[in-house]
Amino acid sequence: MGRAHRGPGRRGRRWRVALGAALVASPLVAACGSESGGTTVNVYYATEENFDKVVARCNDEAAGRYRIALNVLPRGADDQREQMVRRLAAGDDEMDVLGLDVTWVAEFAEAGWVAEWTGQDKADVERGTLQGPLDTARWKDKLYAAPKNTNVQLLWYRGDLVPKPPTTWSEMLDMAADLRSRDQPNTIAMTGAQYEGLVVEFNTLTAGAGGRIISEDGTRALVDDGAVKALQALRDLATSPSASASLSNAKENDVRLEFERGRAAFQLNWPFVYAAAQENPAVAKLIKWAPFPAIDASKVGTSTIGGYDLAVSAHSRHKPEAFEAVKCLRDAESQKYSAINSGVPPTIESVYDDPEMAEPYPMRDAILDQLKKAAVRPATPAYQNVSTLISTILSPPASIDPDKTAQRLRAELQDALDSKGVLP
Amino acid sequence: MTTATRPGVRARWTLIDIVVVVYALVPVLWILSLSFKTKETLTDKSFIPTEWTFQNYVDIFSTNEFPRALVNSIGIALIATLIAVVLGTMAAYAIARLDFPGKRALVGVSLLIAMFPQVSLVTPLFEVERSLGLFDTWPGLILPYITFALPLAIYTLSAFFREIPWELEKAAKMDGATPAQAFRRVIAPLAAPGVFTTAILVFIFCWNDFLFAISLTSTTASRTVPAALSFFQGSSQFEDPTGTVSAAAVVITIPIILFVLFFQRRIVAGLTSGAVKG
Amino acid sequence: MSGKELSEGKKAERRLGLWLCAPAALVMLAVTAYPIVYSIWLSLQRYDLRFPAERQFVWFENYVTVLTNSYWWTAFGVTSLITAVSVAIELVLGMALALVMHRTLVMKGLVRTVALIPYGIVTVVAAFSWRYAWDENTGYLTDLFGATAPLTDRAAALGIITLAEVWKTVPFMALLLMAGLALVPDDLLRAASMDGATPWQRFTKVILPVMKPAILVALLFRTLDAFRIFDNIFVLTSGAQETGSVSMQTYNNLIRGLNLGIGSTMSVLIFIAVALLAFVFVKVFGAAAPGSDDGGKR
Repeated sequence: MGRAHRGPGRRGRRWRVALGAALVASPLVAACGSESGGTTVNVYYATEENFDKVVARCNDEAAGRYRIALNVLPRGADDQREQMVRRLAAGDDEMDVLGLDVTWVAEFAEAGWVAEWTGQDKADVERGTLQGPLDTARWKDKLYAAPKNTNVQLLWYRGDLVPKPPTTWSEMLDMAADLRSRDQPNTIAMTGAQYEGLVVEFNTLTAGAGGRIISEDGTRALVDDGAVKALQALRDLATSPSASASLSNAKENDVRLEFERGRAAFQLNWPFVYAAAQENPAVAKLIKWAPFPAIDASKVGTSTIGGYDLAVSAHSRHKPEAFEAVKCLRDAESQKYSAINSGVPPTIESVYDDPEMAEPYPMRDAILDQLKKAAVRPATPAYQNVSTLISTILSPPASIDPDKTAQRLRAELQDALDSKGVLP
Repeated sequence: MTTATRPGVRARWTLIDIVVVVYALVPVLWILSLSFKTKETLTDKSFIPTEWTFQNYVDIFSTNEFPRALVNSIGIALIATLIAVVLGTMAAYAIARLDFPGKRALVGVSLLIAMFPQVSLVTPLFEVERSLGLFDTWPGLILPYITFALPLAIYTLSAFFREIPWELEKAAKMDGATPAQAFRRVIAPLAAPGVFTTAILVFIFCWNDFLFAISLTSTTASRTVPAALSFFQGSSQFEDPTGTVSAAAVVITIPIILFVLFFQRRIVAGLTSGAVKG
Repeated sequence: MSGKELSEGKKAERRLGLWLCAPAALVMLAVTAYPIVYSIWLSLQRYDLRFPAERQFVWFENYVTVLTNSYWWTAFGVTSLITAVSVAIELVLGMALALVMHRTLVMKGLVRTVALIPYGIVTVVAAFSWRYAWDENTGYLTDLFGATAPLTDRAAALGIITLAEVWKTVPFMALLLMAGLALVPDDLLRAASMDGATPWQRFTKVILPVMKPAILVALLFRTLDAFRIFDNIFVLTSGAQETGSVSMQTYNNLIRGLNLGIGSTMSVLIFIAVALLAFVFVKVFGAAAPGSDDGGKR
């Protein structure tokens, strides 16, 4: 209802501005006038089951000092970013808290759209938070967001078919070939569609081969030997007979469904698949997990960090309340609730030790282990361009030619980092 | 014309007509069918639903998002149509009836605009509307809609106006009617069908727009249905909103179907006269 | 005396004409002319909203960047291909549909009514219908054609985009052509028939020549319209697998990438391309733009 009241009020205000009326009502008055007192903190966050309950709890905690209104963003990460970016670029002050995919922090911080965390707020967020997720919320040594939940991919496999999970990429391909020769389900399902999911796999494999795509400071395109090995690994999978037929079209949920339909022996995916599998007893019995296989045997379990950070908009008119709301939305209790009810891994280490986590989260140790050696995606304000280019150049994975593709990546990524290139 | 009664010829035409009907209706029926499918049967790939449900329609009207978009769509399209038709009528009357300098230039300019690549305007309009505070408002969409609807309105209307026997106006005046009476009693009834037809065509045009709608809006304050459709959320992070998108798609197709059913003759007349005889 | 009055009347008529046209002309100019100039100005700058500090005037650097970029030319090729193929198919099918609507002896009203549905339906709605029809999880057409995920295969996706475009615009094409068809005198056809002309001869020798102006106008309209293709691609593939059009790419650079400099450069280039297309049609083929002859031909 709050939103319904607000729409016309805001439009009216804009109209007056447009007309250049000298006596424009102060934006503050106009916005508060349309509400029945109190401060509303508008949170923009992606679709997450049960997040509304977390919001409700924080509203209770706030005890009337402010009210958190949850606005759900579209499903696709690109669409979420597009919506927020467009409003921020237009100087919209109606957004207070923004749910940022971990890869957007640099861009939003560099453009001056999100407020820096300082003093006590900063200390509160940093205390007890895992290093990997915390790094995603920083840009140029300043903290711009609070990690809400993290994510790492694991290798999920059929316990009935695979007695001992593979540790390296090539071992996994060999096992699939072996299963195939015995006419058993042998498909390896992976997010290979032309989108961010493919970039995640490429980044994971590159890190698992000890390589880098982009220099640490985010200014130079490296695409070193490790990255070339990762390209070869992607190609090996895509051209193997055990590759899924819909590999070049598969996103997270397609991968999960393929596994649940019983056609796949392996899937590389986020932990949500475990919670989803519980609804299907046949699958729940068979699904097992292991650390993400690496190219280099010493790097097993290196995987890209995903997840969401919460940031406060620089245009927000209720910053103190917004910071407080964020702290509540991501505190240990909220994170535990979300982990158990929505399957999203916490960013606060102590939550993993909570006894209540044991049953719904049996793979918590594997996740925690991986988080400690996780690969952070390249941090750069031009990440959107970098990601678009990588997924375009790597699509479809079967057509990768490691050396040539690497060369192309180097040239085009450098342009993207300088924000000079053209987006495909 | 005796051939018309031969059964063979009739059968042949019937067959051809059926092909046309199938061609035009299949995609529409498909989205209609999807909108009535239950979540479980959504992926059964059957053209006709095996289990019927109204749940998708209940769902889209149970949140604020779609009803707001619908209100935006209707409001924006109606206001843009009204203004475009009024301005277009004035200009078309002048073009059809009066002689004045710049007439050819006006016709040329509106022709240019009719063919203008809209995407070329998105960048500058985004910037201009951002600085004027028009971004994500109704006027922010209404203005470009009027602009691109005006050429259509002017062509269609001037074609209609040329057909009106204006001598009647003179005759009425000779019979003692004042100019106002002559206009109201004689010209207005003759011109009304043309204006009405134009209004339908312009409305369809505004109703249809997608590019401006996604580029110049960012919230439910002004987002229209075509844009809202592409931003629908599923009930969970990993579920496609196929059913609800289909239901919403059906809802915004209803006005089009009604127009077509009731005003087929007018729409055909409007499109053919405006386009070629102009 | 009377001469003076006449010129007074003429003046009043001129004034009235200008006043009546002024509002329409002003709106059209305000919304197009100023943005176009502004767009040209932006295209000469390095201006990325994410790097606001680096804004500077760079002359034609953006044009060099875009025109030497392979993604731009890929999109340009895709746009041209879709335009050429879909307009060609539409012309043939549109002509057939026009003949059916004009000459059918049964169910004329029904045929004309349903044929208007594709014309009136919201493009995005139709695009969703096609997308779900070809989706490998929900679609009835994928199995029918034994395809797996046709929307992610470049050739198949381009085919589906063309199909969606053709389906939507054939009725519009047919209506434009039907207007021309109505101008063909019946007695001319009857005379040809008496002279022993076959139906095909009547079509090519009598109908087509009379309809030439209508055909050229329809082609002009549809070509320029098809070149702007955006909605269908946005919904069907979002431009993945190199299926993006120039409009799609402009949108990506501008709205997704927030690079106003590059986005504006692409806008200007599309504008130039469309202007050239229109010029070729009018000058080379002699298409008479509707209205440009003030209806004198009638």
